[in-house]
Amino acid sequence: MDAAASPGGRRGLSVFYVLLIVFLYAPIAVLMVFSFNDNRLVTFPLAGFTTRWYRLLFENAELLDALKVSMVIAAISSVFAVGLGVLASYALGRRRFRGKGPVSALLFSPLVIPYVVFGIALLILFRAVDDFLIPRFGTYIGLGIHSIVIGHVVVSLPYTILTIAPRLERLSVYVEEAARDLGAGPASTFLRVTIPLLLPAIVSAYLIAFTLSFDEYAIASFVAGDVTTYPLYLYGQVRIRIGLPQMIAVSVIVLVASMVLIAATEIWRRREEARLAV
Amino acid sequence: MLWLGVFFLIPLIVVAAYSVNALSLFPSDSGISFHDWGRFLRGESVYMDLFWKSIRMALSVSVIVVVLAYPLGYYLALVAGKRKYVLLLLVIVPFLTSYLLRVLAWRVILGSEGVINTLLYTTGLREPNDPVPWLIYSQFTVILVLVYVWVPFVALPIFVTLENLDTSMLEAGNDLGANRWGVFWRVTLPQSVPGIAAAFVFVFIPTIGEFVTPSLVGGTKGTMFGNAISSLFINGLDWQTGSVLALFLVIVVGALMVFSSRFLRLRDLESI
Repeated sequence: MDAAASPGGRRGLSVFYVLLIVFLYAPIAVLMVFSFNDNRLVTFPLAGFTTRWYRLLFENAELLDALKVSMVIAAISSVFAVGLGVLASYALGRRRFRGKGPVSALLFSPLVIPYVVFGIALLILFRAVDDFLIPRFGTYIGLGIHSIVIGHVVVSLPYTILTIAPRLERLSVYVEEAARDLGAGPASTFLRVTIPLLLPAIVSAYLIAFTLSFDEYAIASFVAGDVTTYPLYLYGQVRIRIGLPQMIAVSVIVLVASMVLIAATEIWRRREEARLAV
Repeated sequence: MLWLGVFFLIPLIVVAAYSVNALSLFPSDSGISFHDWGRFLRGESVYMDLFWKSIRMALSVSVIVVVLAYPLGYYLALVAGKRKYVLLLLVIVPFLTSYLLRVLAWRVILGSEGVINTLLYTTGLREPNDPVPWLIYSQFTVILVLVYVWVPFVALPIFVTLENLDTSMLEAGNDLGANRWGVFWRVTLPQSVPGIAAAFVFVFIPTIGEFVTPSLVGGTKGTMFGNAISSLFINGLDWQTGSVLALFLVIVVGALMVFSSRFLRLRDLESI
């Protein structure tokens, strides 16, 4: 007999699963329906089918700018986060050094710090640096894309390490040793053996960091200066309720794009890791 | 390491400096003072109450999330059979999509001119312009939305613990005469405590500092500690009090982390 659940229990749990899936996807479905609804207000009754909102958003220069800014920030900050993530994973996984415990605690602490606190802390830091620079050198750093990038690298770093480190751990040290025995130096071993074997993990780490940054509101809201990122724009528009259908339409595009991307890379990564199984 | 040192630790130190007035927004010569710390800790400002309210809300969210996610993880790990990874992926995908969007969706659904209310108007179940009062801008909304946001994520650690459970132990329990509930209470549940604890902490910690969700769907009733911090900096210009609150939050979260790290095994998540 099956010790985990009786036939009735199985049925109950299946129903529970289905209900939960409905709960999880219903709001997303509602968004989709209303993005095609021909009414400026997001209300019942439904007013008929339209693709107007999708057309309009491609004429909305502010929105397109905000999307572009977010993509630039996400692209740059993920490169840094992945680069540092690879180095940190390598240090944690392959080297022994003093203070490893505190260092890894520090590396993972951005996972738990409230973003509101971190955003404010960064804001204050930039202000303090400017207060120092202006009277002495007459120049300042200010806020903008660079400050958001810095913030996003800090918070995505733990995620990239969590993605890369386990893969590195499963990678046998012997492969690297074999490369060394065959005459490769440490640098070329790293570049020509370790990195290619880590590639699937690196790609999914990059995507995780990218999505995180693209969507990040809290930190950006403090250190953006006069730059508008996509989440900041979305937040502002939603609060004043103007152009809501357009916002819903762009959300649907982003949502579908990210779901497809995530599902595709997850499948690719598993397949690739199976192929490279070392 | 250097990066984090410069852009993570130093900002926090600067916040600490602000909180004791060693640095201040407006030049003053009052020197270092723990005045605001004293006021806050003695409960003389409204913020201590707000802090406990946030703790209560975070507790409710975490408990509800774990209660929902446990049967889910149980179903996926022990009952679903071969399709379990596909079914699991289906649960997780919403979590990987935009956080802001998912909160936005609820705002659209629950708003006073939103989907549910206007549906009630058109079906005649409720008079027009008489929205259900607790649907939006209430603690209920904030808790509902946060539960929605966290359930998929928390299913993971629970799934992993149950997945690693040796099923022959269940059979052994069975053979030794325990019925299914007996096996569950005395074998399965005790063994999944680490997963439950991890799940709880994963929700509880970010929820205490939450500020985006309450500011979108919470209104004044659903305000949380994070909103107070943010408004002290953005609107209030009282950076000293703001820094006290921010630093206090970091200390609380840090203490929770240290306390729970015996249960928390980050490795559990890595095996996904």
